[in-house]
Amino acid sequence: MTLSDVKPGGECCIVEIHIGDMTGQRLLDMGFIPGAKIKVIRNAPLVDPVDLLIKGYHVSIRHSEAKFVEVTPL
Amino acid sequence: MKKEPGKIVIAVAGQPNSGKSTIFNMLTGARQHVANYPGVTVEKKTGFYRYKGDTVELVDLPGTYSLTSYTQEERIARDFLLHEKPAAIVNIVDASNLERNLYLTFQLGEMGIPLVIALNMMDVAKSRGFKIDTEELARQLKASVVPTVGNRGKGKKELEEAIAATYRNTATVPFHLDYGEALEISLNSLEKRLKENPGLSESYSLRWMAIKLMENDSEAKKILEKKGK
Repeated sequence: MTLSDVKPGGECCIVEIHIGDMTGQRLLDMGFIPGAKIKVIRNAPLVDPVDLLIKGYHVSIRHSEAKFVEVTPL
Repeated sequence: MKKEPGKIVIAVAGQPNSGKSTIFNMLTGARQHVANYPGVTVEKKTGFYRYKGDTVELVDLPGTYSLTSYTQEERIARDFLLHEKPAAIVNIVDASNLERNLYLTFQLGEMGIPLVIALNMMDVAKSRGFKIDTEELARQLKASVVPTVGNRGKGKKELEEAIAATYRNTATVPFHLDYGEALEISLNSLEKRLKENPGLSESYSLRWMAIKLMENDSEAKKILEKKGK
């Protein structure tokens, strides 16, 4: 499953990032690395973007980006 | 920009929202100058302060998560460090967000410029229950680590002292991150081959070049094409 599928309140663990280039690099820079735990906090009123808690800080990313993050539920 | 004799240039680098500007203001007070980097509309803030007879010029770099070639801010920050060769970098680190912030610290350290770490927002880190072993952090990063609370002006004197100690000490040990055997073998052989280009080793840290080339970094490849022949 991907990070985009995780519902608000759900927690998961990153397995792999399936995108390279700029978006992939930016995700890595911000701590989206295999093994990192993520809690999905909430979706924005129009669903996108999604607010996440990773490594103790909040970050919002688009669902179109979250789709590239393969996760396992915790 | 005109370079005055005896002026010491120090870069201020950090991730977005690490309190970079707060620390910059704390050190320089009102003595600031805002311009754009030549050719682009990214703000360039410079300021200065005096410390025991030295004039220290601070250059506030754009806030970046990393130092790749992908975005303009990152390229500007990196080009400044590569070509202007500041005497040291003050790396503002959000202590309440240490793990993510240290990624940029590693990238800065690998460029071979001496680092001073301002461990900022220590009050927030404490209120979250974090205990940070600053001495151990300094030992591992081979850099001075100064706890600060920028918006209360805490740590100003200590930071000024650490900056001066860093630019006065010419024998700093460059930070070295061990990437493990598999990567180190390739990095070492790449570095050895880069060493054969005298034009390159004069201007750049070869270890840094080797790492960037392995990342397939477009700017590093450009430098190699220009200088490496």
